Order: sequence, then structure tokens, then C-alpha cells
Amino acid sequence: MSPAPPSSRPQFDPLVVFPPLARARHLAGSRDWPGLVRYFAALDHPDEVAAACRTVGDTVGSETFLRQVADQYPGEPLPRVLLADRLITKGWDIRTGARAQHVTRSQFDQFHAHLRQAEQLLIQVCAEQPAYALAWYLRTITARGLSLGQSEARRRYDRLAAHHPHHFPAQRQLLQQLCPKWSGSWEAAHAFAESCAQAAPPGSQSPALVAEVHFEHWSDLDGSEATAYLRRPDVRDSLLNAAAKSVLHPAFRPGFHGISAHTYFAFAHSVAGRHAEAAPHFRALGNCADEHPWLFLPGQDAAAAFTKHRKSALGRG
Amino acid sequence: MTYDVPLYEGPAHYPAPAAPAFTAPPHVAEHPDGIRLMEVQGIRVLLAPRPGPVSAGLFFRVGRADETLATAGLTHLVEHLALHRHGVSDLHYNGATAATYTHFHVDGDLTDVASYLNGVCAALRDLPLERLETEREILRTEAAHRGHGANHQMPLWRYGARGHGLLSYPEHGLWHLGPDHVRHWAQTRFTRENAVLWITSDTLPPGLDLTLPSGPPHPMPQVHSALPQTPAYFGGDSGVVVMDAVVRRSTAAGIFADVLGRVLYRDLRQEGGYSYTATADYSPRDADFATITALADALPQKQDAVLGGFVDVLARLRAGRIEQADLDAVRTAKLRQFETPDLTAAMLPAHALSLLTGHRRASVAELTAELHATTLADLHAVAQEVSAQALLQVPTRGADWAGFTEAPQQSAEIVTGRRFTSHESDEVALIIHPQAVTLTAPGNAVTVKYAECAAMLVRPDGARHLTGFDGFSVSIEPTLFPVTAADLAVIDAGVSPYAVVPMPTRDPKDIPKPGPKQKSKRPPREPRKRSLWTWVFWTLVVLASAWGLVGIAGVVGIASEAHTDESWSRDLGRWIRLFGIIEFGLVALAVRVRRKLRKE
Repeated sequence: MSPAPPSSRPQFDPLVVFPPLARARHLAGSRDWPGLVRYFAALDHPDEVAAACRTVGDTVGSETFLRQVADQYPGEPLPRVLLADRLITKGWDIRTGARAQHVTRSQFDQFHAHLRQAEQLLIQVCAEQPAYALAWYLRTITARGLSLGQSEARRRYDRLAAHHPHHFPAQRQLLQQLCPKWSGSWEAAHAFAESCAQAAPPGSQSPALVAEVHFEHWSDLDGSEATAYLRRPDVRDSLLNAAAKSVLHPAFRPGFHGISAHTYFAFAHSVAGRHAEAAPHFRALGNCADEHPWLFLPGQDAAAAFTKHRKSALGRG
Repeated sequence: MTYDVPLYEGPAHYPAPAAPAFTAPPHVAEHPDGIRLMEVQGIRVLLAPRPGPVSAGLFFRVGRADETLATAGLTHLVEHLALHRHGVSDLHYNGATAATYTHFHVDGDLTDVASYLNGVCAALRDLPLERLETEREILRTEAAHRGHGANHQMPLWRYGARGHGLLSYPEHGLWHLGPDHVRHWAQTRFTRENAVLWITSDTLPPGLDLTLPSGPPHPMPQVHSALPQTPAYFGGDSGVVVMDAVVRRSTAAGIFADVLGRVLYRDLRQEGGYSYTATADYSPRDADFATITALADALPQKQDAVLGGFVDVLARLRAGRIEQADLDAVRTAKLRQFETPDLTAAMLPAHALSLLTGHRRASVAELTAELHATTLADLHAVAQEVSAQALLQVPTRGADWAGFTEAPQQSAEIVTGRRFTSHESDEVALIIHPQAVTLTAPGNAVTVKYAECAAMLVRPDGARHLTGFDGFSVSIEPTLFPVTAADLAVIDAGVSPYAVVPMPTRDPKDIPKPGPKQKSKRPPREPRKRSLWTWVFWTLVVLASAWGLVGIAGVVGIASEAHTDESWSRDLGRWIRLFGIIEFGLVALAVRVRRKLRKE
């Protein structure tokens, strides 16, 4: 985690929070294919590979370059997977993150057209290399965007898990699919988070899904009901158990998704008013965090919300 | 209304030519496997002996794909009539009508075989047409009770309403085909030039008489495509994913189908647990092409995963990820089929079909060599052919995400002409043009051109149901559209009489009745009507009561004035008459309105 003192304004930008990602962005922006190949080859953790892939996908204009590379190396999976991610991100930017009723017909059509292109590249890669984690991971995202159904999203995750049983980024994607907002149910979402947490080896990321599903559940409830939910003793216990098995375990290896994991634990305890329980997570985060949950708090910007709750937990600004 | 049903083609009657008793000496050609080919009474005969009971089969090159939508069932009818006289015998026999052939099959001794075949040929020469009505009835009953295979919709989407596409359709011909039609079909299609006989014997049965009319050999049915683009998909029944593809016939394609079945079974049943049945099949279509069909069933909550898994299996095979172990296992199973005793005799039906359809007759040695020579690269090539040609039937969601194009859902053309708005909705209309009819609804339009009409079913109540060669249909129900006999006459004049299928009278409950017209989103009328009549009723009650009071007041007034006895009684009489008529009218009206209200 970043050693920056927790007194300054919090950092939410993934490229600042996790500096290796800035390198991925630079290589994609400067169309340095050999550099990208070396960069990805050097990554040894699936979290980092997934985060780097999403960073390249987030690089505006990179699709032309990636398409050229994909044409140049037709047998290589990486160019097609990165191109697919770029198409997914571009499509989702057109769709926007709004609830479906606020998205226009034309936005949906373009969104689906981009996702279909991405999906067909990914079908090829998965067919050629059934153990290629990154392609299956992205297919859990396209399954959701293209509304391919719960059982299909689950099948894709299971195909990935057959080779990579504790792939945290894919678990996070499937968790989204299992939530009621994507036609799932709270029973299914909680059961999945719990089963991933149970199956995970000590010190892995997966139990942090428990914090994320509690956040999702909280965001679906209103006002006092929402706070009361996070204050429930069983919710508190499940958060403490999950943290002890993952981010607070001595074997835990910090990485990009560790920041998100700590953020969700810190958030859930803070909103429930359990500042002491939130404290170790804020300490681990320092000045870096995932912005997403803090955007859901009313009346203040994410940075102010984070700073306020961190102050309550650590007793300083 | 009467219809003159024209014959499908040719003259109404063919005199059965007298065939020679035997072509002597029979010309004999020997196949490398020891199968003897000879000609008997102008019919090609294949012979190969085996010990024990004798089997024989008489194939004709005629089947469902040779019919039209209007004559569908014609071949089946001939097959049934040809077997009618065997109905009560103890013989073990059978008849089958397929897409491109009809097969009469028998097991027994040589005498049984001769008696059966002689009977079939005699019946074909002179069909028991007095049985026609009964057999039509039997076949309609059979059709009503016949289940559909999971793939029964595939032919119609691939080929439309003609040729091989007819296998998806009901046997419309069973409603109307007359004796001339049936006799003509038998005499032009069940001819010696269109027949091949096989017998598991090295000698011909004594007393065999295969006299059949002569007629030109018929080529395989023409192939039409209803798919502008492949790979394509369409939405079908829930609970199953079906795919078919038309590929060049080869040993590799046969192996590929079995490999596909194994991989589907492993992925969808053994690994995923999404399906119970997951299988694939290879069936020759004609001399050069075969249809590979694959299907996987699914529980409702798993069908999305079945579709996804199916797509991934196809993609993997297309990408060339085919296991050597699968190829070896399928090859071994296929080679084992050659280990059956009396292999040559067992292969007679396949040889007969090849002769009939113009396919090569490979020897066991050649087939074995081809099986051994098939490589993963050969299977990869077939996989690519399958992927390019595939038609996929999906249970719920589409398959555009996987690169499949949706099969046409509506006609490309819409005609202009007289427009008839539906009694049920302003947004649904029929457009009748001298060359075509269009049915339009929001987001959909279907056109049938009369010149491309495969069949028009005609009901005595005026209804017309037109199906185009492309498979699109338009139903014209006079109860739902304001069409007159003159409007229907425009359609009747355009459609070929060969396409007309006169249908029986419908049960009145089967004739559609227009529902309430949906014009706009105004509140329903019913409550307003009810409140209006309620209001009328109570107004009448008030008026009748008030008039009653006026009446009493009038009587009192007349009595109190009391002019003279005479004038009093006269005035009172007039008043009572006037009062009575009006009061009676009011009460009678109120009672009627009350009855109306009760009915509502």
C-alpha cells in the first residue's frame, strides 16, 4: 500500500493507487506492443493481470492499435483479449452506468454491438486456450452486459474456476451478476460470497467478497433500514471473520484488488458506526482507496466522506 | 363451393405397361464385397446371401421432399394403399416413407418374400383406391398422434415450404387428394426405373413378379435455401438447443458427427450437468451432401448455460481443438461395425440406397482404409464447414452474440393495394394486391406472393391460409377482417390451382371471433354503459312516482271541484285514462331497463 501520510487528500485514481498500472497505461498509449508483452509476462498474480488488462481497455483510442496487433499476431491470445476489453469498456461508456430505464434504445444498440464484437473475440480465445483466465474473466462481464442469463454467467465462471479456483476479479464480476439488480437474488449473492470465502486459502482475496456483498445489500436498502442492516451482529461477525481470513491475515499479499477489499471492509464498519473495527482497514489503506462505495453516501463528495470516516476511525485527519 | 383439383403434373392416367416376366438371362455385375447386381423385369436387384431368414427391401426414389406443400402426404398415402392387402397376414413386414425414398421391407423365407413383393407391386400397379378415403382418415389420425422430434422445425427454416423443408409440415394432401392424383403418383414415381430391390439371398425367390410401369428416373429433389446467411439462428421450443449443418458427404464428416456428440455429452452432461441428452447424428441427404444434427436438452433454469456450452463446443472444434482420443474412440466403434457376421448382407440396404441416389458404392476395404486414414486435420476441416453452414435453434435468447445471424423473421417486401384493417386492432391490416397479400402488424410484415405460394388452405367459411415457398404464412379470416367474397376472389385468381387445398368445415368454436377492438388507451366502455342505464332506470322510477302523485292530486282536484255529476264523471274518466297511459308507459320502461341492467 502507499506509504503516503493519511493526512493529505485521498487518492482514488487506480494509476496512482497502484503505480504499476500507470506503466500499462503508458505502454498502451504509446502503442508499444513489445513493451506490453514484456509487461504482462512479468505480472505473476491474476489480480494484477486483470487490473492491467482493464487499464489498457480504459485507454481511449487504443482499439485501432490493438486491432492492428490482433491482425498481426492472429494466433496470440493477448492482443485479442486486450482488444475485447477495449471494446467492452467503450461499449459500457456509451451505455453509461445508469439503471436500464435511463439508457436509450440507441445507447443499448451500440453497447450491445461493441459487446458482441468483444464476445466473439473471446469465444475464439477460450476455444483455442480453455485455461486462459483473462478471456473467461472478461466473458463474465460480457455475459452480464449481453444479458445471457444467470446460468450462462455461472458456467463461464465455473470454466474459469476449473483452472483458477480463486480468481478474485472474476468472483467480483459474478457477484454483480448474482445481485438482484442483474436479475439475481440476495440468497444467491450471499451464498456465492460465503462459498468463495470458505473455499479460499488463508490470506487470499476471496473472503473480501463478503464485505462487497454487504455493501451491495446496503446500497439496495433505504435510509435507517440500510444502516440497521450493517449494524446487525451477524453482519459484523461475518465481516470480522472474512477480514481475518483475508486482508488482515499475515499471509495476505497486498495488491491492486487489496485496496478495494480493505475499502469495502472500512466502509461497512464505518457506516455501521464501528470505528474501531474500521481502523485496521483504514491503516492499511493509508491515503489510497477505492472511490466506488463512498460515492453512495449522500450529501458529500467521496473524498470528504472517506476522510471523515477515516478520522472517526483513526482519530486524526 | 366445389373445386376441380388439378393433377400435379402430367396426364391423368398412365396405362400400366406389361413388363416382361423375366429379363433373361439377368445381367449380373459383382461388387468387390460379393454383392451381385442384376436386373429383373427392369428393376435393379442386389443379392448377397446370409444364413437363416431372408430379408428383402424394395426402395423407390420418391419421398416427402418430392411432393409439394399442397400434395404433402401423397407418397405416404401410396405406401399405405400398397400395403393394405397385407394387413392381416402374419408376415413380418413394414413400409416407410422418408424424405427422398420409400421402402417396403419384409423378413421371412423366400416364399414370403415373393408373396410380399408380388403383393406390393400388384397393389402399386392397381391401387385399392376404394380404400382411399379410409386410408386418408387413418393417416390423418396417425399424424395427429405422432410426436414431433426436437429437430422438426429445422427443415422449414433451412429450406422453406418446399423440397426438404416439407418434412416440417403437416400432410395437407391427406385432406383432398383424389384417386386420379394418387394413381398418377404411383404410376409415375413407383416405376421400375425408380426402384432398387435387395434380397439377402443368392437366388431370386421363385415366382417373383415385379411387374411395374416404366417411367423416367427422377433426379433428387431440388434444393432451395430459405437462409440468406449462415451461420444463422431462430427461436424455438424451450428446453432444447438444436443445430444442423449441411456438409459434403465423407467418412471424415461421419466421424466428426460422432466426435461432436461425444464432446457435447462430456461438456454439457458430464462436466456441466446442464443436459440429460447431448448427442449428434450424421444422415446423408442426397448423393453429395449429408446433414449433421446435434442437440442438447436443458432444464429451464439451465438453458442459457446449455446454449453457451453448445456455442463453446462448436468454437473449440472449429478452432481445431479436437482430441485424438475422441477420433480414435469413434474410429474404433465404426470399425467394429464391420465385424458383424454376414456383413455383406447387412450392407445391402445402404448399397441399394446408394444405387438409387447415385452415391458411390464403396467397398468395406475402401471404407476401412478411409477410417484409418482420417486425421484430426480432416475433422478440423469438417468442423469449419459445419460452423459456416450451421443453423441453430435456441430456446430463449438469441445467438447474435455468438456470431449467428437471425434467420428472416419477416418478408422483405410489402405490397400496396386495398387495405383491410382488423376488427380487433387498427394497427393490424391485410393488404390485398393482384399479385400478393401482406399482413402487417407493428414491427412485423409478412407477404405471400401468389406466384410463390406453396399452398393455400381454403375453408368453406371463407378463410384462406397462404404459405409461401419461403415458409412465411398469411391467414385471412373473414371474421377478423372486413373482406368480401370479391376480395377473396382476387387472391383465388392469383394462386395456382395446384396450390389450393380445400379443407373441411370447421367446428364453429375453431373459427376465430374478434375480441374487443383495441383503438387507443381510452378507459373501458362497460362501466359507463352500466352507469348510464342505472341513471335512466332511477330517472324513470322518480318520474313514475311523481306522476303517481300528480294522478292522485288530479283525482282529488276533480272531485273537489264537482261541477255536475255528468261533467265530474267525464272529467275523472278522461284524467284516469291519460294518467294511466303515461304511468303504465313509465313503469313498463323502468321494468325493461331493470331487466337490461340485470343481464349486464
